[in-house]
Amino acid sequence: MDALTRVVRHTGAYGLFFYDCMVSSARHGVRWPRVMEESHKLGVRAFPVLAVMAIFVGTNLAIQGFSAFNNLGAASLLGMFVALGGVREVCPILAATMIAAKGGTEMTAHLAVMRTKEQIDALDVMAVDPRAELVTPSLIAIMLVLPALTIISVALAVGAALFVSVVQLNVSAGDFMYHCLANLTIYDLWVAIGKSVVFGAVIATVSGYFGFFSERGPAGVGRSTNQAVVTMCVVCVSLNYLLSAVAYG
Amino acid sequence: MASYTHGEPIIRFKGVGKAFGENVVLDNLDIELAARSTSVIIGPSGTGKSVFLKLLVGLMHPDRGEIWVDGVNVGLASDTELYALRRRIGMLFQDGALFDSISVADNIAFPLRRHTTLGEQAIGAKVTAVLDQVGLPGIEQQMPSELSGGMRKRVSLARAIITQPKIILFDEPNSGLDPVRSDEIDALIRRMKDELGITFVIISHDIVGTFRVADYIGMLYSGSLIEQGTPSDLLHSHKDEVRRFLARNLGLPSLPGRSL
Repeated sequence: MDALTRVVRHTGAYGLFFYDCMVSSARHGVRWPRVMEESHKLGVRAFPVLAVMAIFVGTNLAIQGFSAFNNLGAASLLGMFVALGGVREVCPILAATMIAAKGGTEMTAHLAVMRTKEQIDALDVMAVDPRAELVTPSLIAIMLVLPALTIISVALAVGAALFVSVVQLNVSAGDFMYHCLANLTIYDLWVAIGKSVVFGAVIATVSGYFGFFSERGPAGVGRSTNQAVVTMCVVCVSLNYLLSAVAYG
Repeated sequence: MASYTHGEPIIRFKGVGKAFGENVVLDNLDIELAARSTSVIIGPSGTGKSVFLKLLVGLMHPDRGEIWVDGVNVGLASDTELYALRRRIGMLFQDGALFDSISVADNIAFPLRRHTTLGEQAIGAKVTAVLDQVGLPGIEQQMPSELSGGMRKRVSLARAIITQPKIILFDEPNSGLDPVRSDEIDALIRRMKDELGITFVIISHDIVGTFRVADYIGMLYSGSLIEQGTPSDLLHSHKDEVRRFLARNLGLPSLPGRSL
């Protein structure tokens, strides 16, 4: 019962925080130089790890797909498996979890330390809205960068799957690409981008919420970062199901 | 209305109460603080001194009562009114609350960049001037992590005064400092008061420093203002809590008047 009460309380407080962020941004305007700075930081930092993960997710999709379809004598359908599984499902959630793990946790910890050191209060006392100053630029940055990273991860995963299929599994490149492109439409890419925008909004606001209202002290910083990453992952995978159900169900 | 000021009050608490759950921090607090004077609120730890400051700047809201600061009812003010009021207030936080990722100069220039249209050259000149004022010339490019506790407080004071506020609030200005650095901060507060002629409100449990800088002193105890007056009035208080608190902190066996 306590856990349920806590979840309801956090959800309500998160909703108010999200609303306050929107109102603050409308009232005080968006600080675009900070958005650009955050976007650059986030994209540059997350890209190398995301690229490695996308490549190896692609390689493993190819191996698992080949293992399943080859038994049915339909190894040429491997391209379809990569398109449906990789592009529609795995890449958007992969990019989101990477950004949550790197950008999201960093944002929570940064805000929590600022709360502990009274720097958020200092902003307020200097008549600078801390939500507009600290949260909104990261929110916009993540919503801009995550779709781009998702599309890049799609390209890398498909490329890696094609490479393994041709070099290691002796599947024809033409067959792979034919079935891949036949099952992959512009709609799929728009759905992937749409998912990324939603995941980006969730990651930024959940990270911001737990950091902004962190308990003071080192234990508070650790606890809020942990709560943020768990919440982001649970919410993103749940939303992934709902969005897939709406888009393809 | 309890008042221990001799001038026009700029800060007024009327019947203010604040509790966190069962813990009553301020109970029906009435207090007025005069403009252009140095008022120090003293009291043991946990008596609501920090809450008093946070209520004053609207970082917390009272459960009941009214708080008037420079003509604004803080509890009822809209965000716009509150931000307009805060632009007339500077605050020195306990640990300085400097932003770690930017230099001393950028920290001090921060409110000017947000609230004025001054060019970088004019901002740079103002930063240099306030650093001179707080006795730290030439440290513009240092990072906050390179500064000692006393230096951080001085830089925080420089950031607080650069916008020429009407009121400056100090949250425990001497906490965490050795006696030499505490003396320096006290001297700086006295000098700032003479130079700027503005309202200073200090919360402190450092009695020695309080008696050096205060025009008026109020003592909070268990959420209420139990004594108020000039430093001399406090020294001659007949209230046991005041006498015990002062005697212990001034290192005296007892105080003039009634024995403890």
